[in-house]
Amino acid sequence: MTITTSTATSRNWTSLFSMSPERRSVLIAIAVFLGLLGLVDFVSSGPLSYFDISFLSSGGATSAIAAIGQTIVVLSGGFDLSAGAVISLVNVVLAQGMDPAAAQTSVVYWTCVGIGVGMLTGAFNGIFIAFFRLQPIVVTLSTMFIIQGLTLLVMDKPGGFVAPDLGTFYLGDAIPGWLPMPLVVIGVVLLAWLWLKNTRFGTAIYAVGSDPDAAAAIGVRVKLTKFLVYVIAGGCYGLAGVFISAQTGSADPLVGNPLLLSMFAAVVVGGTRLGGGRGGPLGTVFGAYILMMVVNILLVLNVSAYYSTIAEGTILILAVLAGSISYSSTLAKQLRSAQAQFSAWRQGLLPSQLDRTDRRMKMPSSAEGKPVVSSFLSRNSETIRYALPAYLCLLAVVIVTQLWLGRAILNPTYWNSLAVLSTFLAILALGQGTVILTGGLDLSVPWTIGIAGILLAGIVNGSDAALVYALPAVLLIACLIGFINGVGIVVLGISPIVMTLAMNGILQGFALVYSQGTPAGFSSPMLRWFMTGKIWTVTPVVPFMVLFVVAAVFLLGRTAFGRRVYGIGNGLRAAQLSGIAVGRTLILVYVLSGLCAGLVGVLLTGFSGQASLGMGDDYLLPSIAVVVVGGALITGGRGHYLGMLGGVLLLTALQMFLAGTTLPYATRAILFGLVVLGAVMALREKRS
Amino acid sequence: MGIGSIIRRAAACACLVSSMAMIGHADAAEKHKIFLSMSFIGNDWQAEAANMVKAMAAHKNYADKVDLQVQVAGPNAQRQIQQINAMVQAGAEAIVIFPISPTALNQVVKNACDKGVKVFAYDGEITEPCAYNIAIDQEEAGRVTAEWLVKKLNGKGNIIAITGVPGTSVDNLRTKAAKEVFAKHPDIKIVGEAVGMWSQAVARTELSKILATRNWDDINGLWMQVGCFTANSMQLEAGKKPEQLLPCAGEGSNGGRIQMLPAGTEAEGATPPYAPMGAPRISYASPPYSGALALKLAVDAIEGKEVPKKTVLPLPLVTNETIKLCQEGTWQEMKDGCNAFKPSIVSNPGWFASIFSEKTPEIGLNAALVGQPEN
Repeated sequence: MTITTSTATSRNWTSLFSMSPERRSVLIAIAVFLGLLGLVDFVSSGPLSYFDISFLSSGGATSAIAAIGQTIVVLSGGFDLSAGAVISLVNVVLAQGMDPAAAQTSVVYWTCVGIGVGMLTGAFNGIFIAFFRLQPIVVTLSTMFIIQGLTLLVMDKPGGFVAPDLGTFYLGDAIPGWLPMPLVVIGVVLLAWLWLKNTRFGTAIYAVGSDPDAAAAIGVRVKLTKFLVYVIAGGCYGLAGVFISAQTGSADPLVGNPLLLSMFAAVVVGGTRLGGGRGGPLGTVFGAYILMMVVNILLVLNVSAYYSTIAEGTILILAVLAGSISYSSTLAKQLRSAQAQFSAWRQGLLPSQLDRTDRRMKMPSSAEGKPVVSSFLSRNSETIRYALPAYLCLLAVVIVTQLWLGRAILNPTYWNSLAVLSTFLAILALGQGTVILTGGLDLSVPWTIGIAGILLAGIVNGSDAALVYALPAVLLIACLIGFINGVGIVVLGISPIVMTLAMNGILQGFALVYSQGTPAGFSSPMLRWFMTGKIWTVTPVVPFMVLFVVAAVFLLGRTAFGRRVYGIGNGLRAAQLSGIAVGRTLILVYVLSGLCAGLVGVLLTGFSGQASLGMGDDYLLPSIAVVVVGGALITGGRGHYLGMLGGVLLLTALQMFLAGTTLPYATRAILFGLVVLGAVMALREKRS
Repeated sequence: MGIGSIIRRAAACACLVSSMAMIGHADAAEKHKIFLSMSFIGNDWQAEAANMVKAMAAHKNYADKVDLQVQVAGPNAQRQIQQINAMVQAGAEAIVIFPISPTALNQVVKNACDKGVKVFAYDGEITEPCAYNIAIDQEEAGRVTAEWLVKKLNGKGNIIAITGVPGTSVDNLRTKAAKEVFAKHPDIKIVGEAVGMWSQAVARTELSKILATRNWDDINGLWMQVGCFTANSMQLEAGKKPEQLLPCAGEGSNGGRIQMLPAGTEAEGATPPYAPMGAPRISYASPPYSGALALKLAVDAIEGKEVPKKTVLPLPLVTNETIKLCQEGTWQEMKDGCNAFKPSIVSNPGWFASIFSEKTPEIGLNAALVGQPEN
């Protein structure tokens, strides 16, 4: 509201600070990019030549093109985790399909094949998201697993052949000496977007992203729009796959997967708001190039290898902060509000300083007639509806395990293993789940786990006595990490994805510097016994786990903190107006997530006996998946911890079943994806 | 505070001093500009290999000749491509690479070669013909270890296989070669198979999953790319005695090597399960010295010496017959045949112990631990 009025009054000003936020962030992304380019030019020997520009343009092209697709999805309010996997799939399909003996290869034909494969995967996503109304994050996560499996079926190791014609075309010059081809490709995609944006469909994308209900009310075909968005995005990933095939001249089934997280960073750095409705692909392209330029910056500045992730994280945060400097930025608002609060305190006008008379509205007392207590089932029907499918699927998996492998249902070892292996994800689910309930996402989980484990092993070094002070110290540090995340998000107004992604990189750097590359020390006997010992047939961690679950249910369901979390998730503004201290609660939520990740780091160290670098890497995507499979809404506000626990048990039981078989990995990945997808099919929201 | 950490600290200081000294000389004109492009630094093997490369560059034979810059590309092949390009632009004479992908870098490597830059790949392979490759024969690694296990089981029994990272050529070659061996013996049955990602932690999770529906008694042997140390620990936790441990063909971690020493061997700092127990093992590894050797060969190549395009490193194999504990871990001592290190010096059992090469007398244990060369 204030933004529109200020734009209206200052329409004549061409100042950077009075522009619409999205245009400003695009301009700032461009400025940051030019600044980095200038820095590279200044520090490196000799001026930037056409060849440098050509190299740079081809280096960032794959992520830029793919990130354009991701941007369109994000604009429509979606989320696409399958992007990286699609790139790999297109890469192997092209390499497998091309005939090394053929003299001539049609660039147009293979480009169409690549884009077509991408669009097909996009259509698959789109059908489930638009027509079956499933949550984008869980559909695309399942698709990611399925596509990774398919990719490995097409090609189980790097190799293959991509015709050099493709490389000559995509990496050549459009105008020799002036314009490299990659820039033209990106330009063409952007022009296509500009055209699309001005059609009715383009408007529909923004409308759906801003508010799907309002869009539907004014006659936008929401389902069709969503479906087409994923198809178009798939086409972009396909083109990115074609480009990477041209660039590398061969195939690698793992080539696209690591592009995923940086793609989101590019989207956010480019000024597109996660959640939809604001931003655009132009900024994203510069975002992608900024992230790519970091490589060159680190090289010219000769940043030591251990510090490179720290530098990268810092650059990411600075780039985003630079994009948000303005009168209406969160930081400025926070400063103004702090100032106002301070002056109010000096004048003695703060609510807490006023006389404490009861100003609550008088309600008619409910003394006459007890409130009707509805039955347990009807009170909890919604929770049960969303939590039940996970448990039903769990039951199915256990029965299949029993039939296929035997020794499951009546075997105490099976249930004990299930409980122990579920512990890690169950604890993470509380942290990640609470963050997701408020509409955020915590990507710093992997290295919070890593650094907690490494610190603990290093301090404890096999001594039970040291555990007494090491455990609180490590958990305190984990809380501190969460606190910094929270402060960055609340006070500085950085988007949760960027803040936690940057934090993850910074923590990785600290872990490397602290351990000098080789984590020292090992878990104490007591901690190891806690995770691997047996009392009868029960591992000591299992009763702890039960207590944890009870505490978690209580925390989210019965405390003021829990209610505030749901309140914020259902509507930030509404929560604010109803007197919830939103900032404080959000910071606490990230502290909780940090604490949970730290606890997992400690327990994993006990489980493995020692800590290792990268020990948390495998827990990021599962921690999100279990939360969503358990019935939580990724946009916040809905979800019950018991549902998430069901998700944890389901995924763990499924993995235990798959590990007991001798199916090839590719088949397992596909099965895993299909089961997750099947589980959430049951969560479908009924048409209201 | 253990001796290990004191050594570590002292060496770290020494490193700092020497690196400061290096900055002082950095603009000496005759130094060769060499870059190291690592992929991912977040695991023990990578960090150890990087330490050894740095130690090699700091050795007195090379400190005046080499100006080494280490950069990390992360797990993203795109970024490594861009990084190599930037290194070429920055005037590299040679680039030593841990390749993220054997194929994705081909174009950029060819481009570098065309500009006269020597490109050396260690551990992983780059298929572009102009690149120099330094690695073990992965197929041999898979085959020899599988043959050992078959022989140990007298050609009969149920085994569990824990593989590496799916979709990589290293994992593919090893697993395929091993499975070919197993296929020749119809009485050898793989009853469980899981992806171990070359990590002790993952190996434990996967083994726990498999053992949820199976008993240790149903299993006769283990073939693992990484994880024998963990498998032995788990058997002890399950109540087995050390002499009942299953034969395990697997990685060259120091923890595994210590377990191979006969029970009762004096090893300072040993606490179970990181202790001598006579575990029946064959231990092999992709040796982390390959990067340091690559650097050495790169200098040779720059100086005009003849260097073969493909250096196949001898496969480091250790069995219970050849296991021997090192006292200090100098190169000379390792040359005399020791191949495991005291837990008091190497406190992390997952640390890779195959650090000896005939060809690299410049680097010993301290190189791998803290990046400090031999004298």
